[in-house]
Amino acid sequence: MSATAARRRHGRRRAHARRPSGGRGWTEAHVRRLFWRAGFGATPAEARRWARRGKAATLDHVVNGPPGGARVRGPAPRVEQRPLDPLNEWGDDVLWWLDRMIRSTHPLQEKLTLFWHDHFATADQDTPLMLAQNRMLRANALGSFRELLGAVTRDPAMQLFLSLADSTKDAPNENYARELMELFTLGSGYSERDVREAARALTGYTADWHDDGTVTIKYDAGQHDDGVKTLLGRRGRLGVDDVLDLVTAHPNHAPFLVGKLWSFFVATPPSRATLRALVATYRGSGLRIEPVVRQILAHPQLYRGLDAPDMVKCPVVFLAGAMRTTGTYVTQDYPTWLLELMGQLPFSPPSVAGWDWGAAWMSSNAMRQRFVAGNHVVQYGRPRPRKGAAPASLTPQEAYARAWRAVGEPRVSAATRATLTHLAARFFDDIDARWRDQADWRADALQWTLRHLLLTCPDAQLH
Amino acid sequence: MVARRTGSLLLALLLLLAVLTASAADARRRPPTTSVGVAAREFRFSAYRTSAPGGIVRFNVANFGEDGHDLVVETAGGRRVGRTGEVRSGRRATLALRLRPGTYRLVCDLADHAARGMRTSFRVTR
Ligand SMILES: [Cu+2]
Repeated sequence: MSATAARRRHGRRRAHARRPSGGRGWTEAHVRRLFWRAGFGATPAEARRWARRGKAATLDHVVNGPPGGARVRGPAPRVEQRPLDPLNEWGDDVLWWLDRMIRSTHPLQEKLTLFWHDHFATADQDTPLMLAQNRMLRANALGSFRELLGAVTRDPAMQLFLSLADSTKDAPNENYARELMELFTLGSGYSERDVREAARALTGYTADWHDDGTVTIKYDAGQHDDGVKTLLGRRGRLGVDDVLDLVTAHPNHAPFLVGKLWSFFVATPPSRATLRALVATYRGSGLRIEPVVRQILAHPQLYRGLDAPDMVKCPVVFLAGAMRTTGTYVTQDYPTWLLELMGQLPFSPPSVAGWDWGAAWMSSNAMRQRFVAGNHVVQYGRPRPRKGAAPASLTPQEAYARAWRAVGEPRVSAATRATLTHLAARFFDDIDARWRDQADWRADALQWTLRHLLLTCPDAQLH
Repeated sequence: MVARRTGSLLLALLLLLAVLTASAADARRRPPTTSVGVAAREFRFSAYRTSAPGGIVRFNVANFGEDGHDLVVETAGGRRVGRTGEVRSGRRATLALRLRPGTYRLVCDLADHAARGMRTSFRVTR
């Protein structure tokens, strides 16, 4: 390239960088909001890149993922030098999934897998079954809800958890039928009789156990109640797929599911018009999840209060986000036990109703554990200060800026920035003024403190 | 004074090097550790791995059942090699054993649980 061409190109790039956004008010703050809500945060490079590309291109990228499908990039997870063994080593299943959240090129897929894991909450089953369910949820995360529901209904972990396996015509078990309507599809608008009739229609599955902990679900027509049932106003010799078709065709289903998806991404409830529009999209697409999620992620309400976020990060998002946005990878087992202490251990939801979301995450003990988690990210992750990298001669503003860049340039309120800068200014007060410029050891401690506080301060709990 | 300090620093470095070399050699000599997830329930054991190379085998036992269970590892000849002790419902326990190549039996020795199905075999390879 000639010098002139290089100069011209350089000039173009600078002009490009100066442009604040891809137009129509799409800024780095918008990108960060979207990437946190739809995934696990944005790195500074991602925020800059997608602010330039504009809202439509960013939404395409976030929703569709990269062409060719999701991949993981960066170093493979290890715990104290050994590779993960998710089937056999306790907690490695959690680390395996957390690693995907940190390294996936399609974070929305992992975020929705988490949503479905909460929605179709299953626990206390063999690890091979839980991991198989996790793969099934991921494969269906953005597709057709009806297909997802069919896969969940036949999923071995779910069948065993809610006693659908071995529910027979002579002794139909109502657990699955009840949760199917109450928690999975309707919320309301059905009767006890509907539950009983659905339970009859869902009979016939049997579980075939293998010595390695896997289970094959079979359908035994001889154990199925093939009598006439009346379900949600329909009469006939109803079977499994009739039940799933009827509950998803019920007028309460679309508002129920679309409303739950909305509240996963936006803290304030949708207006009636917004809900109507989302329901229309959902029904019009043949109960597909992706168009609804795209519409929610594009909605102006998701971008309200960019300087004052109102959604509490759940523990998984808090930790996966802190690791992803700081370039920290799974090298230790601390995420597993800390997620449990913070109140959200994946693969172990407290009940079939899933976790309690929102402010419920912020118990005093859980918040204390978030503080501990931040410390681990600094200690074992990319933000760990190198000795002497931030000399004592830095101004408080410089020390703060260095810490802020080291933790992935997160959104910080003016009040927090002022407090931390003040802390930096007073951090050497007990050292005689003549020695302060040589107190690099204290400057290292200041960096540890600032980075830890930036990862755990009130601003870091919200997105 | 300076020479002596340099000397002791050198000595410390040499000692450190010796320690590092020793631990590297230790790591090479230490037998491999293989974890085996085991689930217990009425009345069945599931082992997520049916064999492991000779060395340390760590059985990570989870009781998904409603009763208490234990895990006993026996040789094919019936000699007991190790036992977790009773694991209550919903609890976990770990049993780490040094196992030579051969075939072993995993059984629950509470009440008649083994006879009712809580037994499976496990192979340790070379
Ligand atoms: Cu037993």
